[in-house]
Amino acid sequence: MERCAVVGLGQTKYSKRHEITVDGLVRWAAKNALEDAGLEWKDLDAIVIGKAPDALEGIMMPELSLADALGSIGKPIHRVHTAGSVGASTAISAATLIESGMYDTVLTLGYEKQSDGNATWALGGGRSGSQGAGGSFAPWIRKYIAKSGAPPEVGTKVAVKDRLNALRNPNAHLHLYDIDEKKVKESPMLWDPIHFLESCPSSDGAAAMVLTNEKGAKKAPKKPAWVIAHAKRTEFTQFPGRDTVKPQAGVDCAEALYKKAGITNPRKQIDCAELYVPFSWYEPMWLEGHLIAPENEGWKMTLEGATAIGGDFPVNMSGGVLSSNPIGASGMIRCLEAANQVRGTAGEYQVDGARVALGHAYGGAANYFAMWIVSSEKDPKF
Amino acid sequence: MPKFETTHYTLEYPYQRTTGPVTGPFLTGLRDGKLLGIRSGSRVLCPPLEFDPDTFEELEPDFVEVGPFGTVGSWTWIAEPTRKHPFQEPFAFATIALDGADTPIVHAVKASSVDVMKRGMRVKAMYREERVGAITDVYFVPEAEAYEQKIAKGKGEVGISQHLISLDFEESFAPTRKRYLEGLARGVFIGQKSPATGKVYIPSKGYDPIERVPMSEADDVELPYTGTITSYTIITPVAYYGQKETEPYIRASVLLDGADTPLGQQDLRTISTDEIRAGMRVKAIFKPEAERDFEGIDNRWGGTGGVIDRWEPTGEPDVPFEVFSQHAY
Repeated sequence: MERCAVVGLGQTKYSKRHEITVDGLVRWAAKNALEDAGLEWKDLDAIVIGKAPDALEGIMMPELSLADALGSIGKPIHRVHTAGSVGASTAISAATLIESGMYDTVLTLGYEKQSDGNATWALGGGRSGSQGAGGSFAPWIRKYIAKSGAPPEVGTKVAVKDRLNALRNPNAHLHLYDIDEKKVKESPMLWDPIHFLESCPSSDGAAAMVLTNEKGAKKAPKKPAWVIAHAKRTEFTQFPGRDTVKPQAGVDCAEALYKKAGITNPRKQIDCAELYVPFSWYEPMWLEGHLIAPENEGWKMTLEGATAIGGDFPVNMSGGVLSSNPIGASGMIRCLEAANQVRGTAGEYQVDGARVALGHAYGGAANYFAMWIVSSEKDPKF
Repeated sequence: MPKFETTHYTLEYPYQRTTGPVTGPFLTGLRDGKLLGIRSGSRVLCPPLEFDPDTFEELEPDFVEVGPFGTVGSWTWIAEPTRKHPFQEPFAFATIALDGADTPIVHAVKASSVDVMKRGMRVKAMYREERVGAITDVYFVPEAEAYEQKIAKGKGEVGISQHLISLDFEESFAPTRKRYLEGLARGVFIGQKSPATGKVYIPSKGYDPIERVPMSEADDVELPYTGTITSYTIITPVAYYGQKETEPYIRASVLLDGADTPLGQQDLRTISTDEIRAGMRVKAIFKPEAERDFEGIDNRWGGTGGVIDRWEPTGEPDVPFEVFSQHAY
């Protein structure tokens, strides 16, 4: 098997952006990634793009109409779709094209232009009374709180921490300079127990990475991030006995990922993580759901400050999904920011000496999972 | 009783698109009665593209007026237009090489008859009286049917375009779904008991999702009207196209007694948001038979708001979470 290296990272600024087309948006991220990798369109062998449901922008088969913006004429273009986890699934699909030896250099990209449509409408099947994503997750969050005994301020603390992190990231959509716990608690209750400020924004944006093999990594102008392991898992959305708080597919995905990477103690051996946290309570839920914290104790990591920059397991240093949510790109951004950390190029939100980082996304009714681990070293020993 | 053979649905949303540096001027041109192409090397592309199809580089905004006359390359006759077609009477879609352009545009030709349509025929751009900066501001007619128009220039640039996009579809009900709906129409809950796991599903998909074993009519079971609220969401509605809700309301999962899967998306608005809790015992009160409305129910959508009038608390003691934790969702 070939080894896969991340040699180019490209992002747009995330925002509610009306002055640029979808084509311009993907182009912006792609060009930044190519420039970072010191490559040109002609150097790419294939393009793998992902986005959330077409109903978000109302453009059917966007992979066809975006072909010219992505320089993919005469080249294979693949499109991946796994709901909210799509960005990470897309990156992983692209990585497998390198690892299989099929292609030398692949551009992978995720995007969303939420301002073209309305996500709550789209996720509700276009009907009145859509419960939105938050409405689906709220009962599971309540169940987690009841089961784990976590105090209410856990959700508030995550909401503040991620927004403070976002202030260090010029690309983040939300720059809430005056964010504090009081503001979060006093913000409107959208889906009990989720407050407005504990929810992700609706963003436009794109994120792109250039992936290549060992040969390509040697020629890259900057330090690569090596893909050490990746895993994807799926389960049914509903079945008797389903654990909606800690879905089995998420546990299986993490176990497969750590095994591949040779990781036996994720909290100690992984230096930082970008987890898909669209509603603040999902930070402790995924810390447990992906075996980083013992069951019912993920919230303690949040309260103790372990997940802040400077803590022993920083989470969402970039500000996370809570600060920028171009849905189809959000999972890609998690994978990209993990690579950013181990390359040592994360600027103001860099975790000192980050050697191994986790990028994660989930989607649907928390029934799709996609995760990867990247490292500054090609074969990190644990 | 309704037949439940097929279900119709229209998925529709008024999308807004940013037009950008190339499509923006093109649409502004259409509104003002002009067809614009863009220079790409030695060629003129119309409709104009943002990126050079050969080199993938951004094209400079170097626009050239093309047309209004052009030549039809190939065409197809639309004998039975749908409501979303540019004309409600028969017309042609054609590729048209506009004079001065090197690439053809696909557009509508309003011809008096299919017999007029020919490869190589000359057509002329005509503009609609009401123009909004959309591709439909313009259409084409055979040269012989063209006439002079005076087009007034509009104000400003077209920066955002509006698109009411609709998808009309019709699908057959799955046999299991049909029997479930016929049950609701009669005022009873029909589920299915899996021969593989013994679990009872409602609404059933016609197979056991755990063991993936198909089920048949012989596996149908009738369930009682009583059940337990296993989970709920209090929703503060956001405004969007088609949204009818304005005040906070409850959506809940109700596990009917004897079932292993809850009925999702149940409308509990007669129970107050202070009163609602998981474990609460409730009973379904159906609407009178003549008032049961199945609009919007399809093979996937499980709401019963048009059929069940309300869920009434029974007053029985709450059921502890451990009892239904495997069936809560």
